[in-house]
Amino acid sequence: MEQKYMSIHEISIEEISMMQLSDSFFPSGMFTTSSGLEALFYSNRKITDPDQLRELIKVYLEHQIGPADCSALGNSYEHLQRKDLQKLVEVDNIIFSMKLIEEIRNASTRSGTQVLKCVSSFRTDNSILNRYREAIENKRASGVYPVALAVCSNALGIPKYKAGLMMLYGFTVSMVGAALRLGMLQHFDGQRIIHGLKPSVSEIVEKNIGRPLTGMWQFAPDIDILQIAHERMSSKMFIT
Amino acid sequence: MSSRRIPRLGIGGPVGSGKTMLIEQVVPRLASRGYKVGIVSNDVVSREDAERMRRSLATERGLMCEDLVVGLATGGCPHTAIREDPSMNISVVEEMESKHRDIDLILIESGGDNITTTFSPVLADHFIYIIDVSGGDKYPRKRGLGIESCDLLVINKIDIAPYVGADLSIMERDAKVIRGSKPYVFVNCKNGQGTDDVTEHIIRDVLFEAPPKVVKR
Repeated sequence: MEQKYMSIHEISIEEISMMQLSDSFFPSGMFTTSSGLEALFYSNRKITDPDQLRELIKVYLEHQIGPADCSALGNSYEHLQRKDLQKLVEVDNIIFSMKLIEEIRNASTRSGTQVLKCVSSFRTDNSILNRYREAIENKRASGVYPVALAVCSNALGIPKYKAGLMMLYGFTVSMVGAALRLGMLQHFDGQRIIHGLKPSVSEIVEKNIGRPLTGMWQFAPDIDILQIAHERMSSKMFIT
Repeated sequence: MSSRRIPRLGIGGPVGSGKTMLIEQVVPRLASRGYKVGIVSNDVVSREDAERMRRSLATERGLMCEDLVVGLATGGCPHTAIREDPSMNISVVEEMESKHRDIDLILIESGGDNITTTFSPVLADHFIYIIDVSGGDKYPRKRGLGIESCDLLVINKIDIAPYVGADLSIMERDAKVIRGSKPYVFVNCKNGQGTDDVTEHIIRDVLFEAPPKVVKR
């Protein structure tokens, strides 16, 4: 492929797009999720200090979001470059079926479809984005978040690796936000956790963004159980 | 897309002001006129309101299908979920629209918040804000986006006004000053007083007096 160098103007637009999509103000609905943290908070296995929360988020990243969602995002990018909708839909279906917990599955598709809808309101001429939305409307695809984010990031010219960073960073921020609202820590602790996880986020993206579709995995049974427990809570503040 | 959209009415107001009871009064009145309603209930902490409405309106009275009452958690940010980032609400509403093309109206109950609550215009076409007299007759005068900008201001629990020292004439005077020509109504959701007016307002200003989609024989 011919090497194309970006102008300073192009670089800044791409980077601003990255800020826009990874901003917690961007309407993805992720502020309503805790990924099972709320169930942990109300269980007898309390998190007692910020370091424990940082380590827990790292487990999510290393054993769920990295090898599954980040790999799905990376695979999606490969098919987006070739405008191969069929293969993109295949990634969508596989990562959707890997989400074992209904609440998590639903939250992911709800966020994904709304992010797509929002980006397509100002990026109207991206054919693969429009075709992927049609596939969702026709029930061929689910609109699961990692694939939807890949489609949107690609439409805004954000490179694959940076899109992976955005997704893991966004997940980290949503977990810290949930912990703050549950009263598990104070706001400076939250920022310390995010800062402390930067090397892990970078390393996990690097390790998983090029993972082939057949190599995608996730294994965090303790977290699965927490997420199942959350589904059964009668009183809750978060949707997951 | 817009032609397929079912009218959406947002109902907001502080915790305990009577949002759920207002819905429990209005839905049977709309049903008696043939209108079919879906409800999305945003709860701050629990699913209690959604479960109560499902029981009282669907299970016990058969006024709607049970799956037409959906509870939604808001991550502790009730006004964000209906205004700054209504993604999850829109997703649930769209799912309801696609599954139930025969409903005439979708009610979106906010999770209960402060006087600055408003609905994203993408989420709700029309906005009712409800307060009650127990906060004192200063409430309309204190303003806030909800009271000022809603399409209909509902003032509930008028039966207890004498016991909490609230003067309804002061509330009426201030509502007129703050809201200009925009309507307000006094209600008692316990016995239904005033809720016929709310129902008429919805039929006229939200449904534009369109006949029900499904005519019962």
